[in-house]
Amino acid sequence: MSSNIRIRFRIIIYLLAVVLMVLILRLFFMQVMSGELYAELASESIVREKTIAAPRGNIYDRNGKLLVESVPVSAVAVEPNIVSKNEEVIDTLSSCLDMSVEDIKEKINQSNLSYIDRVILKIDIDTADLIYLKENSSTLPGVEVIDVYLRKYNYNFLASHLLGYTGEIDEERLKSKEYGDDYEGGDQIGLSGLEETYESMLRGKKGKKIYEVDPLERPVSVLEETDPICGNNLYLTIDIDLQRVVEEILYQSILAARLKKDRDTDQYYKVPGGAVVVLDPANGQILAMASYPTFKPELFIGGISYADWDYLNDPQNYYPLNNRAVNAFPPGSVIKIVTGYAGLNEGVISEGTKLNCAGVWLGLGEDYPKSCWSVHGSLDVRGAFKNSCDIFFYQVGYGLFKKYDNIQELLQQYLRTFSFGEKTGVDLPYEDQGLVSDKEWKEDYFKSRPEYSVWFPGDTVNMAIGQGDLLATPLQMAQAFLIVANRGVKFTPHLVKEIRDSYGDLFVENSTVEYQDLKLNEHFLEIIEDGLVQVVGTGGTAAGAFTGFPLNEIPVAGKTGTAEFYGRQDYAWFASYAPVGNPEYVIVAMLEEAGSGGSNVAPIAEEIYRYLFNIE
Amino acid sequence: MIKRRKKSFSDFGNLSDNKRRIRFDFVLFFLVIAISSFGVLIVYSATRETLPGGVTDPQNYLKKQLIGLAIGMILFIAVQFINYRKIRKFWWLAFIVGVLILVAVLIFGYEVYGSKSWIDLKFFTAQPSEFSKIFMVVSLAAVMSKWKGEKVYGVTFKKVVISFVVTFLFISLVLLEPDYGTALIYFIVYIGLLFLSGANFLYLLAIVGLTMGGFFLALKAGLIKQYQLDRILVVLNPEATSEGAGYNLFQSKLAIGSGGILGKGLFLGKQTNLDYVPEHHTDFIFSVVGEEMGFIGALVVILVLGVIIWRCFHIALNSSDSFARLLGAGVGLIILSQVIINIGMTIGIMPVIGIPLPFLSSGGSSLISLLLGIGLVENIYLWREVRKDHEVAFQEFK
Repeated sequence: MSSNIRIRFRIIIYLLAVVLMVLILRLFFMQVMSGELYAELASESIVREKTIAAPRGNIYDRNGKLLVESVPVSAVAVEPNIVSKNEEVIDTLSSCLDMSVEDIKEKINQSNLSYIDRVILKIDIDTADLIYLKENSSTLPGVEVIDVYLRKYNYNFLASHLLGYTGEIDEERLKSKEYGDDYEGGDQIGLSGLEETYESMLRGKKGKKIYEVDPLERPVSVLEETDPICGNNLYLTIDIDLQRVVEEILYQSILAARLKKDRDTDQYYKVPGGAVVVLDPANGQILAMASYPTFKPELFIGGISYADWDYLNDPQNYYPLNNRAVNAFPPGSVIKIVTGYAGLNEGVISEGTKLNCAGVWLGLGEDYPKSCWSVHGSLDVRGAFKNSCDIFFYQVGYGLFKKYDNIQELLQQYLRTFSFGEKTGVDLPYEDQGLVSDKEWKEDYFKSRPEYSVWFPGDTVNMAIGQGDLLATPLQMAQAFLIVANRGVKFTPHLVKEIRDSYGDLFVENSTVEYQDLKLNEHFLEIIEDGLVQVVGTGGTAAGAFTGFPLNEIPVAGKTGTAEFYGRQDYAWFASYAPVGNPEYVIVAMLEEAGSGGSNVAPIAEEIYRYLFNIE
Repeated sequence: MIKRRKKSFSDFGNLSDNKRRIRFDFVLFFLVIAISSFGVLIVYSATRETLPGGVTDPQNYLKKQLIGLAIGMILFIAVQFINYRKIRKFWWLAFIVGVLILVAVLIFGYEVYGSKSWIDLKFFTAQPSEFSKIFMVVSLAAVMSKWKGEKVYGVTFKKVVISFVVTFLFISLVLLEPDYGTALIYFIVYIGLLFLSGANFLYLLAIVGLTMGGFFLALKAGLIKQYQLDRILVVLNPEATSEGAGYNLFQSKLAIGSGGILGKGLFLGKQTNLDYVPEHHTDFIFSVVGEEMGFIGALVVILVLGVIIWRCFHIALNSSDSFARLLGAGVGLIILSQVIINIGMTIGIMPVIGIPLPFLSSGGSSLISLLLGIGLVENIYLWREVRKDHEVAFQEFK
C-alpha cells in the first residue's frame, strides 16, 4: 500500500476530528454558554398563563331575597395586537360570530392597542360556535374562548339606581392606579351604584392557570392552578317588597301629577322625575330608595347598545340613569325645620312668640316687599309650621341675620349641623353634596361681577324658607328629619347591612353603625315636632293627603315644601317621620316641577305609611 | 511490497502471538452495542408521549427499535462466518440485490413526505435505500480494488468509469424516489472512496465537476423541488425565522440549547416530548439527546460516534487487501457523512437534510444496515492475514 493512501486516510481522520471539534464547540456555545437563554426562550414558547374569572358576589335584600346573581357564559376574546393584523382570522370570526368585519375592526381598534391585551368581541355565544372555535383554535391565533360572569337581575328594574350596573373595564380605568394591575381587558366591573362602591368586595379573586401547550397551542398539562375565589355577597338594608311598593307609588304619583295644571300658567306639570327615600331612624338603614325615571340594568349586560345608551342620555328622557335621591334640588319650605330650630335655639323667637303675617312683609324695607303664599295673621312657631307661613320664617331668618351682624352666619351653621351642604356618606357613588351658600361662596361665585358678590340680608331671609342658593338632596332631607326624630342623634344612611363571603361567613357587619349625638335642645325639637304633627292634621298644609289616615294611632310628623326655581315649575317636597313618639320610618318624597308638595307629594308618603303600617 | 505495521491500540499487543490471538475488535463492538442500546432508549423517550404517525402504543417505536437491534445483531454475527474474500467474489450479487430493491421501492413503495422510499412488507416496513448503501459500498469496493491479474494496484480510468456508472445507477434510483438526502450520502461515500483509494485528483475533480453540472441542469430543468431548495438555503440565514422552512431548525436549537450542561433528564425533554421539534424521533433525534442529556450527553455521543468512525478507518487501513480497505473505508464514510450532516443540521451549521443519525434515529432499516456494515468491518478484522513476528522482522531487515 502506497504511503499516499495512508496519508489520505490520515487526512480524512484529521478532518473528522476537526469537524467533530466544531460540532462540540458549537454545542458548548449553545448549551453551556447560552443554555439559560435558550431555556428561557423554550419555556416561553411552551408555557402559557391564563386567568380564570371569579364569580361576582351576589346581592340580597335585607330578608335574604336574591336580587342580583352571577351567571357564567362563554365569550370570545381577542388579542388586538395579533388579530388586527390578520385579515383571515377576522374573516373567520366574522362568519362564525355573525358580526360584520367592520364591527369587529371597530371593536378591536376602539382600544389603545398597546394597553389592552384582551378585547371581548362577543358574549354568550352558542354551543356550535363555541365548539367550532375551540376546534379551530390552531388556525385562529390570538382568539380565545373565555368564561366571563354576567349579572342576572331577578327583580327587573327594581332598585336599579342602588344596585347599579356592571360592564367591561375601559382603558382609562386599566391605566389608573386604583384598578391597575389587578384587572385585564374584558373584565367586568361595577360602573355605578353599589356595584361600583363595593367593587373590591364583590369582584372576588381571579384564579390562575399556568399550563403547557403543544405547537398547536392545545393545552397539554397544567403546571399550576389556583381556583378563583368567589366575590363576597352583599346583604342590603333594602326590603325589596317595600322597594317595589315605593317605586310603584312614585310612578303612579308622577303620572297623576302630570295630569294636573299649574293654576297660574295653565300649563300641565312637567314632572320629569322624582325620588323617595325611606329610612329607619333607629340606625340610618335605607329601607327603600326610589328614583324615577328608572332603567333596566339588564341593558348593560354584555355591553349596552348604542341605541340604548343614546336613549338613556337623551335630555328628552330626563336622564333615567341619575339617582335623584342623591341629586340636589331646591328644598323649599321643608328646610323651615332648621330655621325654626335655629330661631328657638338662638333666642330669636321663643316657644310662645307670635308674629304677624299680613301677606306682605316689609322688614327689609319698602323697596323689598316679601310676600307670603297666604295671609295667616298672628302665628306662633307651631302654627307657622302648620301653615308653612313664609313671613314668620322670614322674620326668624332676619333675626338670625341681625344677631351679631351676621358675622357668624348662624342660619348656615344650623343648616350644616343638620348635615346640609355636605355628603351624607351613603355608600353610593356620585352623591351630590348640595349647597348651603354663604358670604364666602357668594364672593367666589360672583368673582367676575363684584357688584353681586355682597351678602344681603335678603339672602339669609330667602334661605330661611328654603329659597335662594340652597340645594339639598332627598337623602339629606331624610337625614335631617332623622335627626329631628332622634332628638339630635345622627346616623349615616347606608344601604349595605352586612357582607358575607361565599360560604356565608360574616365578613363585614354594618348594622351597628356609628352614630353622632349632635347635642341639640330636645325641647326645641319637640316644639318643632308639634308643628310638624299639625302639618298633617286638620288645617295643615298636608291635611288633604292624610284625610282618612288613622293619625290617632299612627301620628305622623311632616313638612311640605314647594320650591320655586327660576325658569321652572315648582319642586314639590314632603318630608316626614312616623309614628311620632316612637319613630320607625323617615319618608322623604320629592317630585321635580310638580307644583304643591302638600297636594302632589304628601300622598306618596301617606300611601307608603299605609303599606308599612298595614292600613287599608 | 509488504506494509510496515505500527503498533496500535486495536492490536492489544497480541497480533504477533499466535496462541493468544484475539481476532475481534471489542472496542468497536461494544461501542456500537452501547450507542445502539442508548439509541433504543432515546427513541423510546422521543416517542412514548408524542406517538408519531398516529400509533396508539407508547412502546410501539421502542419495540420496533429493539427488533431492529436484534435483527442487526444477528446479521452482525452471521456475517462473521463468511470470509470477506468470498463476499468480494460474489459482489455482483450485492450489486444486483442493491439495485433490485431500489427498483422495487419505485414500483411497490409508498410515499412519506413526498419521497417514495418506503416499502411495505406485510409484517414490517423497510427503507431499501438504507440497505443499498451497504450494497453499493460492497460493489464499489469490489470494482475499485485490485483486479485479478493486476500487477500493481492502481485506480485506472477503467475503474473510475465503472465505479462511476455503478454509483450513478444507485444515485439515480434514489433520486427517482426522490430522496435527496440519501443520494447526497451516496455521493459523498463515492467521492470519499475515490479519494481513499488513491485515485488521481483529476478524476476526483472531473466527477465533482460533472455532478455539479448535472445538479445545475436539474435545477434549471425544475427537477429539484422548491422546499428542498428552501431547506438548503435556510442554513445561509443563521437567525432563521421561527416559521416556515426555519421552523424545524429553530425548534431543534431551542431544544438542544435549553438542555444546558446536564440536560433535563431522560424522558423529561419538554420541547421534544410536546412535539415542538418535528421529526424528533428520526432526523432530529439529536435534539432529544441534547435536551435530555445536555452538553455532557451530547459530547459523549459525539465522541463515541467519532471513535466508531475512527475504528472503521483504522481497521480498513490495517486490513490485508485493497477490497477490505475500501469496504471498511466505505462503511466509515457512511457513518461519518451522516453523523456530521445530521448533527450539524440539528444545531444549525448544516442544511436541513433528511437523513438519520446513525445508531440513534428511529428506524429498523438504518440500524440493521449499519450493524451489517459494522459486521463487515469486524469481518475484515477477523479474516485479515496475520504475519508472524519473524516475517515482519525479516521484512524490516530487508
